[in-house]
Amino acid sequence: MATLSDQNLTPQDVLARAQALRPRLGAAFRDEIVKSLYGEAERIARRAVHRLEDKKWDLDQRIDRIVTSPVWGLPIMLLLLAGVFWITIVGSNIPSQMLANAFFWLEGVLAGLFTNWGVPWWITGFLWHGVYRGLAWVVSVMLPPMAIFFPLFTILEDLGYLPRVAFNLDFLFKRAGAHGKQALTMAMGFGCNAAGVVATRVIDSPRERLIAILTNNFVPCNGRFPTLIMLATVFVAAAFPPVVASFVAAGSVLAVVLIGVFFTLLVSWALSRTFLKGEASAFTLELPPYRRPNVGRILYTSFIDRTIFVLLRAMQTAAPAGAVIWMLGNIYVGGASLANHIANFLDPFGLLLGLDGVILLAYIIAIPANEIVVPTMLMVYMGTGMMTDLPGLDMLRTLLVGQHDWTLLTAINLMLFSLLHNPCATTILTIYKETRSAKWAAASVIITLGLAFLVTFTTASFARLLGWV
Amino acid sequence: MVDPILILVSVMLLGFAVLVLLPRQGLLARLKAAKEAAQREKIEDILKFMLDRQQEGRFASTESLAGVLGIRSKELLKLRVVMEAQGLVRTEGNALALTPAGEQLALQIVRAHRLWERYLATEARLPLEKVHREAHRLEHRISVVQVNELDAALGYPQHDPHGDPIPNQSGEFPSEQMGKPLTAWPQGIPGRVVHLEDEPTLAYEQILAEGLKLGQNLRVLEVTPERYVLTDGENEYRLAPAVAANIFLVPLPEPSDMAKDVIPLVALKDGQQAEIVNIDEACQGFTRRRFLDLGLTPGAVISPELTNFFGDPRAYRVRGVLIALRQDQAGMVQVRPVQQQ
Repeated sequence: MATLSDQNLTPQDVLARAQALRPRLGAAFRDEIVKSLYGEAERIARRAVHRLEDKKWDLDQRIDRIVTSPVWGLPIMLLLLAGVFWITIVGSNIPSQMLANAFFWLEGVLAGLFTNWGVPWWITGFLWHGVYRGLAWVVSVMLPPMAIFFPLFTILEDLGYLPRVAFNLDFLFKRAGAHGKQALTMAMGFGCNAAGVVATRVIDSPRERLIAILTNNFVPCNGRFPTLIMLATVFVAAAFPPVVASFVAAGSVLAVVLIGVFFTLLVSWALSRTFLKGEASAFTLELPPYRRPNVGRILYTSFIDRTIFVLLRAMQTAAPAGAVIWMLGNIYVGGASLANHIANFLDPFGLLLGLDGVILLAYIIAIPANEIVVPTMLMVYMGTGMMTDLPGLDMLRTLLVGQHDWTLLTAINLMLFSLLHNPCATTILTIYKETRSAKWAAASVIITLGLAFLVTFTTASFARLLGWV
Repeated sequence: MVDPILILVSVMLLGFAVLVLLPRQGLLARLKAAKEAAQREKIEDILKFMLDRQQEGRFASTESLAGVLGIRSKELLKLRVVMEAQGLVRTEGNALALTPAGEQLALQIVRAHRLWERYLATEARLPLEKVHREAHRLEHRISVVQVNELDAALGYPQHDPHGDPIPNQSGEFPSEQMGKPLTAWPQGIPGRVVHLEDEPTLAYEQILAEGLKLGQNLRVLEVTPERYVLTDGENEYRLAPAVAANIFLVPLPEPSDMAKDVIPLVALKDGQQAEIVNIDEACQGFTRRRFLDLGLTPGAVISPELTNFFGDPRAYRVRGVLIALRQDQAGMVQVRPVQQQ
């Protein structure tokens, strides 16, 4: 056998020799390599780094004791989460309104211009009331909340607080066979599920990551919150005196969120016992020292990596959706629009779920973005031919309850459906890109949609059996 | 005028014929391929079983094959003819023996099986009781080259997760002491678990359910015809003799200073400092790499700092960094408490 001392060895010989010797090394040599690397690093650090008595370290420890304490841990967490929501919802109202006004003013001007030039009405309608309106709607509803939520979220992340949340909540996820860091991706999902799916990259074991991806949609995102808030205000809270109404509304939104968390854990648990069998494994979580957030970096990551990234993907799917919605609302066959025909066709099925055909239709064509569900619904109800909003909640109530037979069951089931139904196209696309598998992307749709049907059907049948509706 | 129904029917018939007879994708071809694959799997299982018997110094009779593998004797006869034609087995008296070619193939299957088990347990982290069945399915669908690649990717492991030795490329087993079954182990003398037999599955599941694992030090406390009582110094385990026969022990190495007052990381009190001694041998693959990457290397000083209000997980300070671990993981890190000034 040739030894390395032979002079006429080529690099290939050396490699071949190494290859032959490699199997004899046994398993422990990896340990030895890492140990010697750390040993070397330690030696260098000892020579080059001087340690002073560290006051900050002491402070870190004290903060850690508070935020992970049995008494204060959970309340602090809930308070911060509620604070972030509140700022997002309140802060985005006005900019959203302003953006919408500007965009729709431009739509009117441009459509008017086209009409003046003698362009056929259907080209004008398709381009401006269809494609452009879809885009404008999505941007004006999505951009402000995301532009507020993501920086806030990034601040918490940068501070080093979020890993402590994962630390606090791990006991829940451990029981569900999932990873504690799933709490972080869920929190991210409140901003946007697509961003939440991307955020699952922090989970380093593939099984648990897949669970986090498939269940992220059970957290209602910014696009679904307005619908939930509207329903809670118009239907649930309206039954209470005005003094407590806003609290009832907030409470019912919170209840929906908690139901979402419950389903997240339930589905995680079911998945880790069926399709994604395995041990709850390799939970290693770094709790970094608290740091002062870096404003420049926060703005960069939250805008470029998250807001713009999500918005661009949403716009890719919103433009064609706008076109489809306009066509459905404006192509008439036998005296009724296509939208009405489809809605009538879907109606029996919708009623079975405690919803109706129009709602289902709105969810089908609003797959690209949840933001346009309500405008699409209103378009079909009112027969306007383009996505529509109503200025006042009272008018909304009159329309839905008075003319379209909505009941409390419809509202509650719509809230449940909105929480559980399939991910939006942007999220499905993101799941496909993250898992590189059409199978898992399809699974994410089947699981959520199946559960949504099941739950709404159960509540509807239950309510009907008891004669509440 | 030709009847349109006639045309339709004949087109459908033609389409159906194509569907059935297509040389590679056709139904017939697929059926044949599936049948051949099933036959190959059975042959490979037979060879593996015969190798197993041969290593115990016995020959496999046709009856034992039929009994253990659940193949009907008529089918077995057919398979035997095929195997003999392929030069894998020869008849010796009224028993079957492996030819060198047959032995080589059997070793290859054993190698594939144990490497898969290793991969499934340490990299894919399937629960241990499910590893065997999955590996049994996969072992027939992997080429020699792929097996070698798997071996290299896993870092040339010597044992599967049950402690069975993995043969190398040329079919040699790593040299080592094989261990005695617990039923032949003298009472009162401690031994280290080197092998947990994973067949029959029921017994193996019971062993796992008791919490027994490779590398554990055990002592037999009491033997009655109904049961064996064991201890690892902390817990007591009760096993039926049939189950106990599936646990194999070797004598403990001479006690060195290394092993003195070593405790698992979980047993450390808050704020107590300790030096990492090693990471449990049972912890391999992904988890072990992750531990090492985080700096949990032998010699590093570690101390628990935070505990979740449910007791799990706990955060440890090591190398100036705070790292949270779940209890079951922290149980795999062995530490020695440091006397604090």
